[in-house]
Amino acid sequence: MAMLVTDASQADNPIIFANDAFLALTGYHRDEVIGRNCRFLQGPDTDPAAVEALRLAIAEGREAAIDILNYRKDGTTFWNALYLSPVRDKGGEIVYFFGSQLNISDKKRVEFELDDTRERLEAAVAARTADLTQALQQKTALLHEVDHRVKNNLQLISSLLLLQNRRVTDPGVKNSLRGMLERVSAIATVHRRLFQSEDVERFDVSAFVRDLVSDMVGSARRDDIKVSLDLERIDIAASKAAPLALVISELFSNALRHAFPPEAMDGRAGEILVRITRQDADFRIEIADNGVGAEPSASSGGFGLTIVQLLCQQLKARSETTPADPGTRVVVYLPINGVHH
Amino acid sequence: MNGRSLDILIVEDEVLLATELEFLVEEVGCHPVGLAMSSDEAVALASDLRPDLALVDVHLRDGPTGVEVARTIHDDCGGVALFMTANVKRLPEDFAGACGVIGKPYSEHGVKTALEYLTICLTEDRAPGPPPVGLELSPAYARRWGVDERPAEPSQAEPQVGRQAAPQAAQA
Repeated sequence: MAMLVTDASQADNPIIFANDAFLALTGYHRDEVIGRNCRFLQGPDTDPAAVEALRLAIAEGREAAIDILNYRKDGTTFWNALYLSPVRDKGGEIVYFFGSQLNISDKKRVEFELDDTRERLEAAVAARTADLTQALQQKTALLHEVDHRVKNNLQLISSLLLLQNRRVTDPGVKNSLRGMLERVSAIATVHRRLFQSEDVERFDVSAFVRDLVSDMVGSARRDDIKVSLDLERIDIAASKAAPLALVISELFSNALRHAFPPEAMDGRAGEILVRITRQDADFRIEIADNGVGAEPSASSGGFGLTIVQLLCQQLKARSETTPADPGTRVVVYLPINGVHH
Repeated sequence: MNGRSLDILIVEDEVLLATELEFLVEEVGCHPVGLAMSSDEAVALASDLRPDLALVDVHLRDGPTGVEVARTIHDDCGGVALFMTANVKRLPEDFAGACGVIGKPYSEHGVKTALEYLTICLTEDRAPGPPPVGLELSPAYARRWGVDERPAEPSQAEPQVGRQAAPQAAQA
C-alpha cells in the first residue's frame, strides 16, 4: 500500500515522507517527491471537481476518500483511490496529513467499459425505437390514406350509379341500378364503420345493421312498414364484414321491396324483424317479415338470392328460408369460430 | 319543404360527386347557388353569394384546404359550413367553426335527411331532435341548437328506426 505524510505546518503542505510502494506506483525517486506538494500527481485529464473536493477536505481538516486520475513520472496515468486523513497533536492542531494511494485502474476500466457498453446499448435502443416509431407513423398515415381513398372511391361509385339512375327511364334498368346502389351502399356503410372502433380487425355487426336498416327504410319511403331490431352485440373479423353486410342487405332489401306490395296491404301495417343472437357455435341472423310470402321476383330477387347463396358459401354460413305464416323467415347461421361442426 | 329554403354552396373537387350533390340539394327543396373546387374559389363564392350553408370537402384541388375554408366562412363570411369528408377523425376539435360533418361515403338518404334537419336547425336556431344517422354535429352547434350531448343509447334508437327518417315530425 502506497503511503505518504505531509507537513501541515509548513507552507504549501509538502511531502515529508513517502514509502517505497508510493515510489513504485508513481515512478519517482524519493528525492524528487520530498518537499513538494502532492499536486504534481495531477495532469490535464484530472477532474477539477475531484481536485476541488480534495482541496476542501484539507482546508476543512477532515478525512476524505476520493477517486482521482493521477499521472506517473513517465506521463502514464492511473486511477488512484486516495484516502486522506489529518493527524492532530494533543492540542487538537493538525500537524500532518496522512495519505494512502491504491491503484484502481483495472476496476475503473471495467466501470468505464460497462458505462460505455450501457451508453452504446441505450443509444442503439433509442435509435431502434425512433425507427420503429417512424415506421409506425408511416404505416398509420398510409392506412389513413388508403382508407380515405377507399371511402372516396365508394362515394364516386355511388354517385355514378345515382347519376345514371337519374338519366334512365326504363323501369327494369332503374331497378337494377337501385339494386347495385344498395349493394354499394352496404359496402360503403361497412367502410364507414370499419375504422370507427379502436380495433381495426373487428367489425360490429349490430351497429352496421342499425345504420343499414335506417338508411334502407328511409330511402324506401314506406311509412306503412315497421321495423323492429333485436340485436345482440356481435363482432366478426373485418375480412368477413363486406360479404356478411351484402347478405344482410340483400335479405332485408328483399323483404322491404317484395314482401309488401302496396296493392296487397289493405291498410295493414307490414313488419320486418331483424334479430341477431348467439346460438351454440353460431351467430344467428334472422330476418322475418309478415308479408305476402316467398315469391322472389324475377327481376332482382333472383340475382339477389344468388348473391346470398354464393356469399354464404364463402362465409361457410348456411341459410334457411321458412314460411313464417304469414310471410317469410330467413335465418343465416354464421359459425363463430369460422367453421361448422 | 320546411319553411325557408336554404341557399347552399358546394365545395367539392370531385365533379361527379358535386353534380350528384346538386341534384340532392334541389330534391330537398334547397337552392344550390354555386360550386367551388378550390379554396380560393370557395372563399370568393362564399363572400359573394353569402350562402346559408356550405357543404365543404376537406381535400380540394389545392390540397387539404377545406378546414381553412370552413374557418374563413365562419369567421369572415358569417356563413355556416358543414364538412363532407372521408376523414372525420382528422377534423380539428372545434370543427373550424363548422356546424358538423357528414362522413363519406354517405348515402343519398343520409344527405337528404341531414339537409332537411339542418334546414330546421338554421331556420329556427334550434334542433327538432337528435341528428339523423350519418350527421354528427360539432359540440358548439349541438349546444347552440339544444341537442342533448349524451351519446344516444342504441336501445332507445332501435324500436323507432322506421320513424327516424322523419326529422320534420311536428315536435318543435
